[in-house]
Amino acid sequence: MDNQKKETPIIVQCGIYAIILFVAQLISSLFPANFSAPAPLIGVILLYILLSTHVIKLHQVEKLGDFMLGLIAFLFVPSGIQLAGSMELMKTEGVKDILVSIIATLILLIIICFIGAALIRPHARLAKSAK
Amino acid sequence: MTTIVNNLALPFTGIFISFIGYLLGMLLFNKSHGFFLFNPLLVAMVFGISVLGMWAVIVHSDTATIYLKFYKPGGDIIFWFLNPATMSFAIPLYRRNDVFKKYWFDIIVTIFVGCFIAIFAIDQVTKLFGLSHASAAAMLPQAATTAVAMPIASEIGGVPAVTAMACIINAVFIYALGDILIKVLHLNKLPKVSNGLGLSTAGHAIGSVKALQLGEVEGASAAIAVVLVAVAMDILVPIYAHLFM
Repeated sequence: MDNQKKETPIIVQCGIYAIILFVAQLISSLFPANFSAPAPLIGVILLYILLSTHVIKLHQVEKLGDFMLGLIAFLFVPSGIQLAGSMELMKTEGVKDILVSIIATLILLIIICFIGAALIRPHARLAKSAK
Repeated sequence: MTTIVNNLALPFTGIFISFIGYLLGMLLFNKSHGFFLFNPLLVAMVFGISVLGMWAVIVHSDTATIYLKFYKPGGDIIFWFLNPATMSFAIPLYRRNDVFKKYWFDIIVTIFVGCFIAIFAIDQVTKLFGLSHASAAAMLPQAATTAVAMPIASEIGGVPAVTAMACIINAVFIYALGDILIKVLHLNKLPKVSNGLGLSTAGHAIGSVKALQLGEVEGASAAIAVVLVAVAMDILVPIYAHLFM
């Protein structure tokens, strides 16, 4: 099993991340201004391709990756506190903006979940009956 | 005195406030046995904004100035780590590679059709509330991650700061109420893949983490949505704005 092998040192895992993010940043600058593709999103695709083609083994990035994913809620704290810097916005249409954002969150959640379910259910059923 | 003020403007202050707020939130969350308003992110936000607000009152300045001078240097350092953290979604995706291989077509159609309908619905809501064009246009791309949504918003005439605010509200809302919403909307009866997609689209990276907590299949589909929704918004919002606004 992968995880029973010797563990990749965390500094190496960070190095792999640094290389991929650097390359992702270079690729990101190739996109036109009206089609933004930020480095981390290209990084997801690059890392996924490298894992799928076995250039990078799962145990070489797993520990750092799981640690990072566990941190995400904390990493959003500065974005939240950033609202303190946009108090001016709040004064004009702030309350309405907040309400619309909350409703939009619900709209997105409900529409995507139910459209997804409508497509995937028959697919899963077909796959079952084919067996 | 000036040395202290100058030193307070170093990144340590912002990092300190963020950690204290978050740890306080964790403590309250545990003590209240998981009361949703005491989730660590929300507590840290309220704590941080109140600290900056009180600070501004004490030194007779305004909150925005205090934020920029004393919080932002540290906040930016923490914020930067969202880059490698977002990249890490490739790992849950790879762990359940079978999900994408089996459902790739359904997933792509769901995201593109779903996002288009959602953009339309959000536009109607902004009209209902009578938002100005600058705010309404800012609301449309909010499903994409902040870094993608902000340039789209300014391209179609929206205020990027409002978009950023909307993105944060999405994430905090899903983080605080995700579990309750899953129960109320009976999402647990829906296929796991569509739940992962929905949580990720509505709640960004935080929604995806919520999906990961539900299970590997939800997590893998949420990871796909992180990338696909950004692409969908890049393509769909300018088209929608061109056609209907």
